[in-house]
Amino acid sequence: MSVQIPKTLEDFPNSAPRWVGRGVPRVEDPHLVTGRTEFIDNVVLPGMLHAAILRSPVAHARIVSIDINEAEKLPGVIAVVTSDDARRWSHPEPTVPEEWGTHCLAGDKVRYVGEPVAAVAAVNRYVAEDAIELIAVDYESLEAVVDPVKAMEPGSPLVIEEKGTNVMLQRVFTWGNVDGAFGDADRVFTEKFRWHRLGANPLETFGVIAQWDPVDESLTLRASVQSATHFGLGRAAVLGLPSNKVRVIAHPHGGSFGGKGGTRGTDVTALLTRKAGGRPVKWIEDRAEYLTGGGGQAWDRHYEVSLAVKNDGRVTGLDVKLLDDMGATGEGFGAISTAKPLASFTGPYAIPVARYDLTIVATNKLPQSPYRGMGPPPHNCVLEQMMDIAARDLDIDPAEFRRTNFIPKDSFPYTIASGNEYDSGDYEAVLDKALALADYGKLRERRDQARAEGRCVGISVVSAIEPGVFDWNAYAIVGVQGTGVPEGATVSIDIMGKISVRVGFALEGQGQYTLATQLVADYFNVGFEDITVVCLDTHSAPPAFGPGGSRLGVALTGAVLGACGKLRLKLAKVAAGLFQMDPEQVDLVDGKLVAKGVAGVEMPMAQVVGTMLARSDLLPPDVDPRPEATHVWTAPGRTEVDEEGRAKSYLTAAQAVHVVMLEVDPETGLVEILEYCVVDDCGTRLNPATVEGQTEGSIAQGVGAALLEEYVYDEQGQILTSSFMDYLLPTVYEVPATKKGIVVTPSPFTPLGAKGCGEGAMHTTPAAILSAINDALAPMGARATEVPASPNRLWTLIRAAQQPAAGE
Amino acid sequence: MTAQQKISVMINGTMHEAHVEPRTTLADFLRGELALTGTHVGCEHGVCGACTVLLEGRAVRSCLTLAVQVDGASLTTVEGLEEDGKLHPIQQAFVEEHGLQCGFCTPGFLMTVHELLYENPDPSEDEIREALGGQICRCTGYQSILRSVRLAAAKLRNAHVAGSTQHS
Repeated sequence: MSVQIPKTLEDFPNSAPRWVGRGVPRVEDPHLVTGRTEFIDNVVLPGMLHAAILRSPVAHARIVSIDINEAEKLPGVIAVVTSDDARRWSHPEPTVPEEWGTHCLAGDKVRYVGEPVAAVAAVNRYVAEDAIELIAVDYESLEAVVDPVKAMEPGSPLVIEEKGTNVMLQRVFTWGNVDGAFGDADRVFTEKFRWHRLGANPLETFGVIAQWDPVDESLTLRASVQSATHFGLGRAAVLGLPSNKVRVIAHPHGGSFGGKGGTRGTDVTALLTRKAGGRPVKWIEDRAEYLTGGGGQAWDRHYEVSLAVKNDGRVTGLDVKLLDDMGATGEGFGAISTAKPLASFTGPYAIPVARYDLTIVATNKLPQSPYRGMGPPPHNCVLEQMMDIAARDLDIDPAEFRRTNFIPKDSFPYTIASGNEYDSGDYEAVLDKALALADYGKLRERRDQARAEGRCVGISVVSAIEPGVFDWNAYAIVGVQGTGVPEGATVSIDIMGKISVRVGFALEGQGQYTLATQLVADYFNVGFEDITVVCLDTHSAPPAFGPGGSRLGVALTGAVLGACGKLRLKLAKVAAGLFQMDPEQVDLVDGKLVAKGVAGVEMPMAQVVGTMLARSDLLPPDVDPRPEATHVWTAPGRTEVDEEGRAKSYLTAAQAVHVVMLEVDPETGLVEILEYCVVDDCGTRLNPATVEGQTEGSIAQGVGAALLEEYVYDEQGQILTSSFMDYLLPTVYEVPATKKGIVVTPSPFTPLGAKGCGEGAMHTTPAAILSAINDALAPMGARATEVPASPNRLWTLIRAAQQPAAGE
Repeated sequence: MTAQQKISVMINGTMHEAHVEPRTTLADFLRGELALTGTHVGCEHGVCGACTVLLEGRAVRSCLTLAVQVDGASLTTVEGLEEDGKLHPIQQAFVEEHGLQCGFCTPGFLMTVHELLYENPDPSEDEIREALGGQICRCTGYQSILRSVRLAAAKLRNAHVAGSTQHS
């Protein structure tokens, strides 16, 4: 009998489930609110040293010499490492695209401000920082490459000379007869957009404790790491170690959002522990390091987008040209953000043909890293602006223009032009609910009245898809293939009937241990207090990828329910032996093993488990006496990538409609959000409270993206935003309260019908805010095409619109 | 740099005496010397508020305060909020209203809310926002934190009323 993973809650062996689908309190929280959760910087090991990293103050320079003598002499300093050590003990960083990496400590030259040049391990962080000030580096300035357009010109200085070019990747993907669609269009709209660098900035920066074992030449890494397995494999490759000689112990961490980073700093720390003879070395990235040299910068994009439209309002073609400034190397894996838009290229719309002209260029800036949403948020933002431009020109209401182009609800599963398949949806129902929630008619009246009073008020109605549950085929076009994203869980019952769930990822904030607890509690009909969830290290955990790509809720559900199902079969077999019946005649019901159709023949699960462990004489001869089972879940039906980059990559497609009203102050360029309504459909909600948390948090990050957050570099490649005084995160003042509604179309492809929802509104909010700004600016003939639409940019636009151009 | 100063400080009701370098921050002292690791460090330049502790009942940033500055003073950290192993009403409110996700910023929020609610048991929406304006949370979008603060205020007021009734 094969293992069945429940497709609905009715399939659970429980007549009265109490936990799944409810907004239950999180098991994580008591530790967090008392400050007891073991974040990495809380950990102290015997003999532990502390690291500090010396970083380049300039964007592009040849290193003439490095003198570490004075640093080595400082009392308390145990080890100093430079590029000599990096070349001796490590390989260049792995990258996407491949072979665009350098060693973890700069050798012949530095390529961005913040690049590690040397590092010190000392008895405490204060001494380590004293020591790096004693390291003398002689730099010979080189011209910095900061503008990606100039970087492509012949004769431009090269970031990595050996490559002979700054172009990391250039490729055009054509899906269908795009030229035909544009030739046949009644109207063609084209606009350029600029999305500036921004990034994750979790409140906890990255941290690691590295310990080298000189006897068996192995490395143990305790770290605030998002994907421990993937992280460990990368470190083994860089450090030239067999994969089973790098052990990663993931610690709970204070957020990640894809941009935890830390790979290069970990490799530097690994060199330090090795040079220090195996003493453990802790490196806690500080905020300035994170902002200038960490995993926090993403999406530095120049777009040119065209839309082919018929007079009846049908969009018949989409053409997107993207130039992405990736920074100095490909080590942050930021390029995968240019590949993910293929998973939802045409958004929620039935646009039959599309083209993607993609160029990725190296410059003397920090290498890009992933960030929540992984690339589609800017793509969705520019697509939604084009939808509004077209609707405005055709004089069609933006909501109705979108309705006309939505993928109809009876056509799922639906394959989009760029190859991915959407699982299910009812986009019109989501739109209608959003318009009702916002009282759209009234909202327009309020806007028009405000305009009549001379105020600058705008409304937007936008929609976007959140691709959920990624597979690595999604990123194959930029050179990531075959790594795999399995998710495993082991469910184990002890002799007292208590249950442990063992997983391979650490707490990050989304409430995944609560989800595992909900699932197991309902499956075996036990209470939360009977269940513990533990994270194992990479040597002992089942295959696991962890959070990322809006996948873990779905993947973990599959893994846990698969393990529960295997355990159910095992327990039935043991109970059948005790009942002297066939295993098929026994099943788990409400936490008891019962003989089907034989009243009174039953045994509590804990008693069956106790017998398994304590009374080997009573077990059937071919029974494995471990009351535990492991299941590794993978997404079904994924396909290889074809010659145009098309594949079934992301398993689910959640959809949302946001309706926003805001006001722009023409005197200051400041934006105030007046109304924010969101309706979304992410399938079955396994814990509605945590889903709501993901929605609210991602709206906040979307507000930051749209209005505030930007990494600024000057013409010499110097970063001007190296503190939270300059890089502005949204506070309680900027994030609006929202009205929320839901629609549920369960996914036919996932356990319990849930869809990925962790990236959430990040896919939609920047588009919604920019669209509303453009509606506000439309009466004066201005259009914002840069993100963030910060006060200085809007003020400049408004001023230009109010003052007739010279010569008129 | 290594000349140390002796300080005496009352933390969560316990007197601590220690020798510290003058440059040691209060955050590093609490975390590194006393293993009170519930106080978290998010930016080390006074913007994020994760490291907030109470100094004589007032919320201060322990990353911008030197350990030598608190000589002779009385401090409360997140470890001092529980009473008899039970969560403080503010902590309980954050749990019930899902006022946290990763929980890294949470201790700083709890201490800030503590200062607010013990000075102003029934704060208005604007007063709550003003109190929280210097705390950054990257996960929640603040809405669940606002709900938590309102619930915490209600819990504390009810506890106060219950306490008065008991005494009368």
